[in-house]
Amino acid sequence: MQLNVTPTIMQNKPKNMNDKIVKIVLLSFTLLSSSFIFIVAGTILLKGITPFITQNLGLGKVSLISFLTGDTWLIGEAFQSNLYSVGFIIVSTLMIALLSLLVSFPIGVLTALFIAKVALKRLANILRTVIELLASIPSIIYGLFGAGIILNLVYNLSAAFGYQSKGGNSMLASVLVIAIMTIPTITSISEVAIRSVDKKLEEGSLALGASKTQTHFKVVLFAAKSGIFTSAILGVGRALGEATAVSLVAGGRRSGYSFDLLDTTSTLTTIMLEGMKETTGLDYDIRFSVGIVLIVVIILTNLILNWIKRKVGNVDVK
Amino acid sequence: MKKLFGIVLLTLALTLSACTNAEDSFDETKNITVYTRDTTSGTRAGFMEGVGFADAATNDSLLVQGFVIKDNTGIMTSMTTDQFGIGYVSLSSVNNTIKPLSFEGVEPTLANVINDTYGLKRPFMWMTRDASDYANETIEAIVNAFIAFLGTTDAQDIINNNGAIGLSATQSWDDIKSNHPITQQDNTGVVVRFGGSDSIQKVAEALTNSFVSKAGNFTAEHDHTGSGDAYKRTQDPAIKDTSVGKDVGFSSRYFKDSEKVGVEAMNMGQLAWDAIVAIVHKDNPLINVTAEDLKKIYEGTFETWSDLLD
Repeated sequence: MQLNVTPTIMQNKPKNMNDKIVKIVLLSFTLLSSSFIFIVAGTILLKGITPFITQNLGLGKVSLISFLTGDTWLIGEAFQSNLYSVGFIIVSTLMIALLSLLVSFPIGVLTALFIAKVALKRLANILRTVIELLASIPSIIYGLFGAGIILNLVYNLSAAFGYQSKGGNSMLASVLVIAIMTIPTITSISEVAIRSVDKKLEEGSLALGASKTQTHFKVVLFAAKSGIFTSAILGVGRALGEATAVSLVAGGRRSGYSFDLLDTTSTLTTIMLEGMKETTGLDYDIRFSVGIVLIVVIILTNLILNWIKRKVGNVDVK
Repeated sequence: MKKLFGIVLLTLALTLSACTNAEDSFDETKNITVYTRDTTSGTRAGFMEGVGFADAATNDSLLVQGFVIKDNTGIMTSMTTDQFGIGYVSLSSVNNTIKPLSFEGVEPTLANVINDTYGLKRPFMWMTRDASDYANETIEAIVNAFIAFLGTTDAQDIINNNGAIGLSATQSWDDIKSNHPITQQDNTGVVVRFGGSDSIQKVAEALTNSFVSKAGNFTAEHDHTGSGDAYKRTQDPAIKDTSVGKDVGFSSRYFKDSEKVGVEAMNMGQLAWDAIVAIVHKDNPLINVTAEDLKKIYEGTFETWSDLLD
């Protein structure tokens, strides 16, 4: 033992040097990656504010209040008018996100419960891989599926009820596509949360005479609620941020508050995406303003959901 | 058991498809669902101008309430689903899954576009960088040769074979190639960048495919992002020298006045026409529309199919 001490002390100096170098390298990478958020947010903010503070090459300032509350994307001719507004789109974006959560949350959590607690180990492993695969499928694929299958489904379904939908392009189709996309996110995170629930809680419940089903629903899910809630928050995040897939099934609504599930709709992301590549001037800059609105909507939603999560509280989780 | 289940499923599927086939009768009392491209689309500009509703090319608030915005593919697939929809696409997109409508009594065929009887069409334009604004002289010479090539019978044949209509040409490439000595040397490794309208991508790629072998095997790089980028990426000082800059840009509409500022007349021109076709679902009994019909549909005067069919 004594013999080993000396070489350690002797090596101390270069070792410290190495540690320092590694520390500096790691720090610089961290600074680099975290600075991107400021660069990105800064650019969006700077570009997004221009429509409200400059004359937009003679078109005049965009009014912030009517931008946030109006019910028509653009009154007048593109490139000739400054009467943009996204009020009705904010509402439909939130509505689509929450409705899709209403579909995906129960399905996702119950799937997670099955994989974590009920399924045999081998089946659980297969299912887990399948869910991870689903989570990694690019959104455009879900969009193509939506445009090819879900639009048809919605169109025929509404026709069966005697309602003439617009080729299926609707809020309902958007909700279904987003729900399908968010299920894997919700499932994989909930599953981890459910698996982290202390075995003792479960055993205690079983020992007190509760059945397995009672234990799963009343003890396990309850104990994992914090993690499950996190999955819902991430699900909402994905729903709010999804553009490509939704733009293929939303139908591109341009005016009017609408709560009709079978009528066309728009989200903040689709309005940014549509025509982005072919436009210039104010019509281009205004999409950055929509970006700011989207960021604010996402931050507010996250804050509210996190506040609810804290209220819901946490139970004994490893 | 599995077999039985399969048979049941098969019969169910067959009955269901039989059901849809049986719905031959077209319910004229249904509302017309109007499909359109978004305001930045060159096809939309071409269509709206063609039907005498040019104001609506960039103005959604003039269109009928409750229209649906889709891209080219989106409109095509929607017309296979939505019995009561109407939309418009380029002639080159038309296939037998939908029903193309005659315009003013003229069928939308390639022949009718070439003999100039079909009226609903838009120009395909090109724009290049300014003289001596290229990365090097070789690229500039190749671009100049390519522009000359566009005016030959060889190029116009290629354009016609790709769903667009070529302008009339008299000279062949063999007649004029001696004016462009650059095409006689080996240009392997020289990259010429093409961009602009994605509606023209198919035609542009066919043109460069043929021209590459005629001009010393240079590399033609295609990156088509939209008509707006034809000007922006070849001439806009803020963009043309960035990584997305292009040597030749294509536009599927006439250049706007704002895009022509400071661009020499010799650096832009027309290479072809493209026809736009109004399309409906196959079950729709409609065969012909007039410009006025289409305008009335898109502005909302005609609300149900009976307005149009009677």
